Amino acid sequence: MAHIKVERRSMRPEEWIKLRFGWLKREIYSEKHEIEDFRIREARQTSEMNFEFYDEKPRPLRRGDMYFTPDGTAFIEADYELPAHLEGKKFCFALKTAAEMIVKVNGRYVGGIDPNRERMNLSEYVDGRKLHFEIMGYNRSKPDDERNPESLSVRGCRQIFEGGYITVVNEAVTSLVYDIEMLLDAALSGAFNEDFSQLVIDALDKALNFIDFDDIKTEDVRKASAFIEENVFSNKDYSGSGKVALVAHSHLDIAYYWRRIHAVQKNLRTVLIQLRLMDKYPDFKYAHTQAYTYETVEKYYPEVFAELKERIAQGRFEPVGAMYVEPDCNVPSCESLIRQCLYGQSFFREKFGITVDNCWLPDVFGNSWILPQILKKSGVDYFVSNKMSTWNDTNRFPHNNFIWRGIDGSEVYACVPPTHFISWNMPSQVADNWEAYQDKNTGSATLQMFGYGDGGSGATEEMVELMHRFDKLSVMPETEHMTGKEFLHRNFDGNEKLSVWDGELYLEMHRGTFTTKSNLKSFNRKLEFMLREAELLSVLRMKQGVEYPAEKIREIYKKLMINQFHDIIPGSHITPVYRDAMADYEQMEKELSDIIGEGNRYFNSLNFARKSLTFIPDKNGSVIRRGVNGYYAIPSIPALSCGEIVNEKAEGWFECNGLNAETPFYSVVFASDGSIVSLKDKELGREWVKGDFNKLKIYHDTPGNYDAWDILPNYKDKQENIVTDKPLELLKYDDECAEFSATLVTAKSRWQRIIRLFRRSRGIEVENIVDWNEKHRLAKVEFDCNVLSRELVCDTSAGFIRRETHRNTSWQQARFEVCHHKWCDMSEHGGGVALINQGKYGVSAENNVMALSLLRATIRPDPTSDIGSHDFCYMIYPHQGDFVDAGINNVAFEYNVPLVKADVECGFSFSDKLWLQSLKLSENGSMIVARLSEQNGERGTLVLPQKAKILNMLEDEIGAATEIEYAPFEIITLGFEL
Amino acid sequence: MEKYINEYIRPRLQGDGGEITFVEEKDSEVTVLLQGECSKCLILDRCLKWVEERIEADLGKNVRVVGIRKKPYFQDV
Repeated sequence: MAHIKVERRSMRPEEWIKLRFGWLKREIYSEKHEIEDFRIREARQTSEMNFEFYDEKPRPLRRGDMYFTPDGTAFIEADYELPAHLEGKKFCFALKTAAEMIVKVNGRYVGGIDPNRERMNLSEYVDGRKLHFEIMGYNRSKPDDERNPESLSVRGCRQIFEGGYITVVNEAVTSLVYDIEMLLDAALSGAFNEDFSQLVIDALDKALNFIDFDDIKTEDVRKASAFIEENVFSNKDYSGSGKVALVAHSHLDIAYYWRRIHAVQKNLRTVLIQLRLMDKYPDFKYAHTQAYTYETVEKYYPEVFAELKERIAQGRFEPVGAMYVEPDCNVPSCESLIRQCLYGQSFFREKFGITVDNCWLPDVFGNSWILPQILKKSGVDYFVSNKMSTWNDTNRFPHNNFIWRGIDGSEVYACVPPTHFISWNMPSQVADNWEAYQDKNTGSATLQMFGYGDGGSGATEEMVELMHRFDKLSVMPETEHMTGKEFLHRNFDGNEKLSVWDGELYLEMHRGTFTTKSNLKSFNRKLEFMLREAELLSVLRMKQGVEYPAEKIREIYKKLMINQFHDIIPGSHITPVYRDAMADYEQMEKELSDIIGEGNRYFNSLNFARKSLTFIPDKNGSVIRRGVNGYYAIPSIPALSCGEIVNEKAEGWFECNGLNAETPFYSVVFASDGSIVSLKDKELGREWVKGDFNKLKIYHDTPGNYDAWDILPNYKDKQENIVTDKPLELLKYDDECAEFSATLVTAKSRWQRIIRLFRRSRGIEVENIVDWNEKHRLAKVEFDCNVLSRELVCDTSAGFIRRETHRNTSWQQARFEVCHHKWCDMSEHGGGVALINQGKYGVSAENNVMALSLLRATIRPDPTSDIGSHDFCYMIYPHQGDFVDAGINNVAFEYNVPLVKADVECGFSFSDKLWLQSLKLSENGSMIVARLSEQNGERGTLVLPQKAKILNMLEDEIGAATEIEYAPFEIITLGFEL
Repeated sequence: MEKYINEYIRPRLQGDGGEITFVEEKDSEVTVLLQGECSKCLILDRCLKWVEERIEADLGKNVRVVGIRKKPYFQDV
């Protein structure tokens, strides 16, 4: 018997409802008066508050005209006389646009319009009938939020002007529209009980029958609303479960598909829109992150800042996130993350009198294990970050509300909300959140953020209106609108049922961001250490009567902070953002070089004696390293002291026969491509090489839409053919160093490898001079080590993390590419191999093979990403004992901190068991601050040169001591009287 | 023309996540390669018209700009 599928071709009740709902929405305005006097000047933003204009004078802008240009900002003006009958009445300004507009009327910032909202209340903010409009509009080919289909449909650089209007809202129609919006979502989303959905559809169908759509009358609309009230909202037969906290928030990427100069106005628009919602809805509260964004409002829009301050004092506009920006939490160093808190909290304290007790990072790409201690010591007890729950590609992160234990054992309350940080407050989204919430049995509520974002925008009137209706919908979880702080305190404080997550918060996605745009990463590393150098030397020069350049250093640090934003340093941005960052970096490098200055003697800024072979720049030097002439020497300068470098003459330390080389440490057999076939350790009497070792491999890297962000595990499936163009040959050798060179080519790129063997170092340095013209490729250098190890030890910048290298479970399988800082190491009892880098963060390890990620070639969002010349070094460092015995961390510091020339005296030192992470003048200028971190996982006693104040990371005094017992991975901040 | 496209037009399109590369100028027709966001733009014609207007305003040349789209492989469906 043939099966015939029954298919309904006639209109279903829900389709009939939707059709009539569309007609109803057309009646939202009871009056609409067109403003016909618009004038426009097209421009392009060149800095935060400067613009290049295309037109000398404004041109008329009429409905149907084209407006906006690529990367364009438009200044639109109009003068309008309000109809007499509207005086004293409520009216709005309406303008449907794909652009983001800040609207000023009669000299006052009155609100914002964007693809997520087409009208703003006006009558409350203007007097008289004469209205002068000044609109600043910024148009993007990529809308704020790609999740809003309406904004997606109007994307594009050039738009058609649809006219601007003074409108009067029909409150009865609008209210019914919100009712239906909410009920249609509840009924059709599938998130709720089927019988309830049927009840809603039946009721809506009947309710809309009260309205004659050929002649819509307000009394009929009210009848429809009353019918819904009686038949749906009064029905309590259906009950929902759960508790959901609703926190209004807007995510604002400081740079992404826009430059940071544009974030100033994106932020202002967002702030204005939320302030206006507060005017309209007395219960509305909103959470806003990033001290930097507040700073820009204060700097450029003081009148809005004054209003903002008032709302903050009332507890309605809530600064959340203690940090200066929302930084990437993989690549920045420990000291950078501390400064994010220090500069963020300093601003909030100074301007608003508050210390923000939460860290709010909804969009960051995983979180380093060092964070809990930093947060705890920066006045932060709560941590919020969304991505692990919604973006993990392999494992479901097992908690949403929990305790996060850090590398040193510090604990913070942590919330990884079950759903996305951008939602538009639909009943189904609230229900989905509760459904996905995994810590129901702790008795705590789940966090639902609502508001459009990425480029700001935030909550809308519709979201608030729907929220006000949620308690009428018995089928929904219990909801409560609150601040972020209220949610965190109420649900975490003293909750003994919370589970503990002890480890990093690794995001199982976006693994490419450790490598994409390699120049940014290496520059960031360099500047982090230059800032340490600049502060330390400035403190020492204070003793010589030189003023500490506090303002300048703070300014440079803040610029570094901004460029550590989670779509800048990870490389997930458009071309101009990269250019801006590089320009910032070059300027910072110059300014820091000026502060570091020059001297006659070499100064060792490390708090341990320099014992490793170091490259000393010297125009007469015979080695050219990264384009700089110099030579290698062992400085032998004690901690925090000056000294001279003595060159030793040495002969007969090196022998070479073709691809075979002999040094005091090794018998090396090279392959012609620069890989190492055999590395026999003469001291330890062992072979370090098992398979491909120092082997360059270029993989096809095609992760799809998240091109700059992701590396997929299948990258290993296909390799690019690499040809040896110039086989390895000895270039030269001197008293300390022997240099080999090999040049490899692909169809598009050229890769010179300079390999350096040393007389007095176990290290083998590899310099890579690359002309990189690939697309969708990932270059790695692989090391198949003759070491039995089941873990890769990785530097975090403040201690190490051990990561398993087997693939036993999905958790290890997912961590096929991880972030590390200066070094990684694979050891067995007796010895191991470390890889030390100068700005490479991505690394993979499987069994006894580790592979450092060197370069990527992605095309989205930046089609030019990483194309061009590169010159970078890494060091292979086989060693005796484990990485602690071998002092790998110190070797890595010596490799990353160049020796400087400075005529300073220190006169004191700190234990070389701890790393002197920072020596600076306190922010208030009253003391010298020294920050020491334990990095080897050891306990000990720190004896201080004099009695010191014990500080938290915000430089608040919390005690005093002359001796401190320290614990593994502890970070200690001390204050010394000037 | 190539210099103008590269130095004037290109940074503006890049500012919107797009990419434009000069291919050739033949008679009064300028061909450009469009990548990034431009490659999938639904209203690209409006933008190319603007490029024509700018060329006329700045170079005094009346040309037709023809765009070749090159979508990323993952959007080329």
